[in-house]
Amino acid sequence: MHDKTRRLPGEAAFSLALVVLSLWLTTVAFEISGFEALSAPGSFPMAVTAVMVITSGLIFWRTARLPAAGHIRDWREILPLRVVGMTVMIGLYAAALQPVGFVPTSFLFLTVSIWMLGRTSPFYALGISALSVAGIYIVFRLIFTVLMPEGVVPEREIIAWVQSLFAGAPK
Amino acid sequence: MKTRVLGAVAALLMAAAPAIAEYPEKAIQGIIQWGAGGSTDVVMRSITPHAEKLLGGSVVMQNMTGGVGAIALKYVGAQAADGYTLLMGAENPQLYKVMGLGDSDYSDFIPINLIARGVPLLVARPDAPYNSFAELVAYVTAHPNEVKFGSTGPGGLPSVITAMLTSEVALPVIAVPYDGDGPALTALQGGAIDVMPAVLGLAIEGIRAGRLKAIALVDTTPNAALPGLAPIAEAYPAYAKYLPWGPFFGVFVKNGTPDAVVAKLQAAFGEATQNPEFMAMIEGRGFSMLNLSGDDARAFLTNWQKTTAWLVFDAGAAKFSPADFGIERP
Amino acid sequence: MMESLQYFLISWLDPQLLGLIALGTFAGIYVGAIPGLSVTMAASILISFTFTWDIYPALSLIVGIYMGGVYGGSRTAILLNIPGAPSAIATALDGYPLAQKGEAGEAIGLSTVMSFFGGAVGIAVLAIAAPTVSEFALRFQPRDYMLLAILGILLVGSLSGESLMKGVFAGALGLLIGAVGLDPLTAQERFTFGIIDLWGGISFIAVMIGLFGISEALMQLHHIDKLAIKQAISRIIPSWRAVRKFLPLSLQTSAIGVFIGALPGTGGDIAALMAYDHAKRVTKDPEVPFGHGAREGLVAPEAANNAAVGGAFIPMITLGIPGDAVTAIIIGAMFIHGLNPGPMLMIDRPEMFWFIVGALVAANVFMLIFGLTGIRLFVKIVELPRPVLIPLILLLSIVGAYAVSNRLMDVYWALGFGVFGYFLKLYGYQVGPVILGVILSRLIDENWRRAIISDREDLGGLLWGTLSSPLSAVLLASVILIFVSQTPLWGMAGRGWRRLRG
Repeated sequence: MHDKTRRLPGEAAFSLALVVLSLWLTTVAFEISGFEALSAPGSFPMAVTAVMVITSGLIFWRTARLPAAGHIRDWREILPLRVVGMTVMIGLYAAALQPVGFVPTSFLFLTVSIWMLGRTSPFYALGISALSVAGIYIVFRLIFTVLMPEGVVPEREIIAWVQSLFAGAPK
Repeated sequence: MKTRVLGAVAALLMAAAPAIAEYPEKAIQGIIQWGAGGSTDVVMRSITPHAEKLLGGSVVMQNMTGGVGAIALKYVGAQAADGYTLLMGAENPQLYKVMGLGDSDYSDFIPINLIARGVPLLVARPDAPYNSFAELVAYVTAHPNEVKFGSTGPGGLPSVITAMLTSEVALPVIAVPYDGDGPALTALQGGAIDVMPAVLGLAIEGIRAGRLKAIALVDTTPNAALPGLAPIAEAYPAYAKYLPWGPFFGVFVKNGTPDAVVAKLQAAFGEATQNPEFMAMIEGRGFSMLNLSGDDARAFLTNWQKTTAWLVFDAGAAKFSPADFGIERP
Repeated sequence: MMESLQYFLISWLDPQLLGLIALGTFAGIYVGAIPGLSVTMAASILISFTFTWDIYPALSLIVGIYMGGVYGGSRTAILLNIPGAPSAIATALDGYPLAQKGEAGEAIGLSTVMSFFGGAVGIAVLAIAAPTVSEFALRFQPRDYMLLAILGILLVGSLSGESLMKGVFAGALGLLIGAVGLDPLTAQERFTFGIIDLWGGISFIAVMIGLFGISEALMQLHHIDKLAIKQAISRIIPSWRAVRKFLPLSLQTSAIGVFIGALPGTGGDIAALMAYDHAKRVTKDPEVPFGHGAREGLVAPEAANNAAVGGAFIPMITLGIPGDAVTAIIIGAMFIHGLNPGPMLMIDRPEMFWFIVGALVAANVFMLIFGLTGIRLFVKIVELPRPVLIPLILLLSIVGAYAVSNRLMDVYWALGFGVFGYFLKLYGYQVGPVILGVILSRLIDENWRRAIISDREDLGGLLWGTLSSPLSAVLLASVILIFVSQTPLWGMAGRGWRRLRG
């Protein structure tokens, strides 16, 4: 979808940002060990950042001279509201994962995003989310024993409690 | 809605908690400091099933690698001191302070059980022109900066052994760094390096097959696994003051964990080390069983730290002096 | 000979062992398909799980998981453009475009058959030539590993899409990402800014999930209202003609796979990428261009990564040296069960060798069976409406990133690289070279330093050592040849040659 003969909105700024990033990383790489020895821990990072500076510089130089893409004026075509919205949603999700816990956060995240994206009935979204969270929970937590953040839900106690029910003997 | 139901269940459980409040009432998390398949991993994954049975609860083990093990140490240190997070680690944290890898070590943890200790030795490629430590010293003196020693970075076993050796004799060699003793031993078999300080268990099969040549046992007594290989302290009594020395594995909980919980864990892991299958595995890999807990374990840890920290510092391989952290010279 | 056959058939004649291999393979396909669940993880869980079992059942299960897992990564790579495992990265490059054309069923069918074929080649080499191959692999010196990794990084030329310059930048960025953390050789901090959570480096899987999974999901939001692509599921089992057509290519890339797999320190991920590059180089005129659904681009990496499984067992069984992370765990499992993996294993316990070969063959057959039967259900995933599919992909990406090492930090990395990857894709950069860089970073850095330390910091000495070793010299020549053929120098040389002659 990218046309290399035209410059998209934001493209020049992006390539400039990469140049700045590369320059900054070069200074960080230099501070690791300077030009101490060919085998020093900083040698490889310095070589790599040097390549980044050169290539990002050339890319910026070429991009800046391209004619702007005439048919795309609006930022929305580059960055639709949906993309921004979803990015914020996952950001919030990741932030809430630890304190609130995996099960409630995931459930909420799925329900809200399916409901908003699909403009479907909230019950449909609720149903799909409940099913998916249950599926993921079974595979990751129960089968592969990955301990997802528990947050407010005392999962391990619940599991131990359920196990004790099956075991038949009170602990 | 679902959250509310779960909340209700949780509230119920909490109300019922005193009735079932005998540790462990939920799964215990075991954080393994090194990667899957390594020595620490194998030891922990084989002892834990026995301990689980004795504890009457499950232990979920996870590998958390990186930063020479510092990341796992930091993680366990940040969890609640309730005995539900175990640190399953090796000797490395005892050197973090002098290596500049953070300000924490095992003094912030309660040793549940120090399980076993590895026996170090020096191995060389089979066609190397030296068969004993004395011959190696003579050869290196005649050919300075030619012999390639494998190493695994500062604080790793090879660096400590090399520091120990150079404290008494001059050894001008090239240290070629590898990111683990496994890859370094592979390189030794391929001839990329000439000599490697390693643990017995890892090198034993290569020695038996004649692909590696054992030239010195870095210990005070001969080892049943390698009869005929003289311990280094026989010909060089000066080394006896550092020995026996070796990397070790242990299970730890954070300081502040309730005494009852610690006692239960110590009992379970202590008994687990006595399991015949486990003992056979430990001996088969060439480790020496330690099975230390409580004050014995503390004393072992302190001694190990004193000896090793000063060794690496005197060899110029440490960032900071052990004295800065109140570690006395042995 | 009779004895070997008898050992080989142990797993085939015991219904319980055969069942465990089948179960392992089946589970492995799903472990492989889900990003964040890895074969390494599954195998290490199995170690405690099978602790009290005998060695045969325990190994059967692990071998099945391994075979199935390496193959399973291709599923999600083809259907969702999210490689379920690192070895399926190259599969996504041409597999996903096929799914977008509604040919996911055929793509999965073809990749299954080729995985089977590659797996068979790998096992055959293991059975016939294991000692020879492992002796050869041992001869690789640090400088050879370095040259091999440089050969790998030159693949940037094949992966950079519209602009070589952007590809080189992306590759260098990947190399840099791979260097973050405590330096594995000196424990010096690199790009960590004093943050302890960065000491372990940036998880490669988190980067992969971000750049492929999350950024792809964000990109898909542009077309949220478009209907999902209807997938044709009539032609799942590829025709004999198609198989025959790709047989020579898959044989070549299987050879690459076995060998890269047998080298300690390199595995299926690098093998698959090198195979992809090889396919691109030898296929003169593909029916469909590479990157747009070329079948060659699917066949090559899939044959290679499954061939690498047999390859990884070669140093493990003959010398007790792990070929990759999974074989390292198998070595651990053998210790626990009282065996001593090492050079003596083949002599002391020859039955172990033939048992593993037999179990691998069985796992390979089960992989073919399960691979070809479950496709319809799998393909349904892509036919889910986008408003449901996209949030699900995002959720799974986050869970997967967390599961790698149970650290929230990895989730943030996946998110960050997801957003960054969105902009990279938007402005015509490819994410493939970034991943390539991350995979190869440590290999290049560490082996360069080992090589130069071994030669006492003397560049001349290193060069002399390289030229005087036949192996290093061949590798160096390949590096130079590929480098020249990818840059304008090639055209200049050609013109100069013609002028000289004409």
